[in-house]
Amino acid sequence: MTRKLSYDLLAYAAFAAVIFWLVPTLYAYDGFELNTFARYLSLAIVAMALALSWGTAGLLNLGQAATFGIGSYAMAMHLKLRASDGLPDFMGWNNVDTLPWLWVPFESLTFTLLAGLLLPAAVGGIIAIFMFRARIAGVFVAVITLAFLVAFQLLVIEQQGLTGGQNGLTGLAPLNLFGWSVDTYSVGFYYLVAACLMAALTIGIYVSHSKFGLILRAIREDAERTRFFGYNVSSFETMVFCISAALAGWAGMLYTLVLEFASPTYMSVSFSLAIVIWVAVGGRESVIAAAIGAIIVNALEGRLSDVFVEGWNLMLGVTFVLVVIFMPRGLFGLVTYLAGAGSRLRQSRQDSPKTSAPIGSAPHAQGGR
Amino acid sequence: MAQLQIQNLHVEFGGLRAVDNLDLTVEEGEILCLLGPNGAGKSTTLDLICGKTQPTGGSIRFQGTELSGLLEYERARCGIGRKFQVPSVYKELTVAENLSVAQSRHPGMWRALFTFGRGDTATQRRVLERVGLAEKAGVKAGNLSHGETQWLEIAMLLTQDSQLILMDEPTAGMTIQETEKTADLFRQLRGSHTLIIVEHDMSFVRRVADRIVVMNRGAKLAEGSVEEIENNAAVKTAYLGH
Repeated sequence: MTRKLSYDLLAYAAFAAVIFWLVPTLYAYDGFELNTFARYLSLAIVAMALALSWGTAGLLNLGQAATFGIGSYAMAMHLKLRASDGLPDFMGWNNVDTLPWLWVPFESLTFTLLAGLLLPAAVGGIIAIFMFRARIAGVFVAVITLAFLVAFQLLVIEQQGLTGGQNGLTGLAPLNLFGWSVDTYSVGFYYLVAACLMAALTIGIYVSHSKFGLILRAIREDAERTRFFGYNVSSFETMVFCISAALAGWAGMLYTLVLEFASPTYMSVSFSLAIVIWVAVGGRESVIAAAIGAIIVNALEGRLSDVFVEGWNLMLGVTFVLVVIFMPRGLFGLVTYLAGAGSRLRQSRQDSPKTSAPIGSAPHAQGGR
Repeated sequence: MAQLQIQNLHVEFGGLRAVDNLDLTVEEGEILCLLGPNGAGKSTTLDLICGKTQPTGGSIRFQGTELSGLLEYERARCGIGRKFQVPSVYKELTVAENLSVAQSRHPGMWRALFTFGRGDTATQRRVLERVGLAEKAGVKAGNLSHGETQWLEIAMLLTQDSQLILMDEPTAGMTIQETEKTADLFRQLRGSHTLIIVEHDMSFVRRVADRIVVMNRGAKLAEGSVEEIENNAAVKTAYLGH
């Protein structure tokens, strides 16, 4: 229907071709290399999830890592139970002698998969209800979600007997998915993660082009005005927080599979801020751009952090500052600006024999700010 | 029974009574113009009706429902639309998208989540043609001129199709021709919609008003037809300060 949707679908198809065909070909279907790339793809999901709440609704959630962590721990708890006879080893070290009730249902894979989506959604939803009913907006959303993240990470580290504390959950069994024992270093696993990313992007594109997404963009601009059209703004904001949290939990589950452990560093402030940087680099207005941003920054990190061990974080920070100053809409903004400039150029060439300038048909592509 | 019944309404801002024991009755389908000097409480009255401001006391009943205590979005769902003094459209959205937002007969969140696309484009096109913005459907609202922005917000209210429409200075910044066009449009709405208009432009008021209420210092000073108000001594005093 709209040009924007057809552009999005085009980008979606191109992106699918790259991750399903180009990347495996470039890495010569080498399972070890593809495992590294699968890590980037799982992080791309958490980035696109943030783009949904930040880019569409203007709600900057700095606690995205908390919901990501819940997902990753849910998966790790299941795999840890599969790996141990009865009680997981770290519980013995912490003088826990019966399996805590919180762990019991994670014996079941179905429960684990559901919990990895629904628990983060519930946690995100509860915070959202408290915030948005009180009409908290703007920078205060960032402050509150950040404070929650810090408290949540402390809680996870403190509860050693339940979560493994600082060590996290290690020594996990491979996932057994309907009789397929998932080998993390196989091409098949790479395709599983890639398919999950494409599914998440499908949800993201659907949401941003639905009426729901339109109302979110209206709320981003003027929440007050939107109320006078009869929309219950807080329920829209709460819902997008839930969707975003569920996607982050999904990403967390995959991340545990890729790295074969869960660690409280997944819920650290620096990780949560890194997600924001990926999204800012890619462009928060588009879920695909955010995913690409996550892949680019992480691929760079993979190459550069070996060489510049100490300097990498500084480089990342400088990149963020430069992006915010010179490219506030990220790579996405750059691409739309160049596309707009290209069509303007073509138009002016066509019109050069005539004297009149096309005022009525001004190009739709938005320029950079 | 009257569509809107305001009784004994008052609101205080830090000791200042912006609206003071106001009684107002509005019949279905009429166009009521609110006049008064600056600070008379006209815009505040509209704010109280649509829920932007909560009253200190008194009652507002719309079609038999008590509105005090309801949130803004609940009042909008009752059938009250509002146009603001400073045109407030969504500048980053296109003109068509603005109308899509305004198309809020089913404002529920779940419904929106399962609705894909732009909504009823035929209605949108009809409304845009009516206000003369059909050519601009794909333009970002932020790129419209001031007059066009006014028209867009009026178009949004037509799309919202509320029974009671509150207009705060709808012709501000419009040219004479545009003001005439607005007057024509409002006269077409008479009967099917109830309008309460705050306006300073007397020639516009003369064209559209069925009835005028003059406010001064938060209270009703006079009420009547255009001629009655123009010959009212108390009104002259309030305006000229004699």
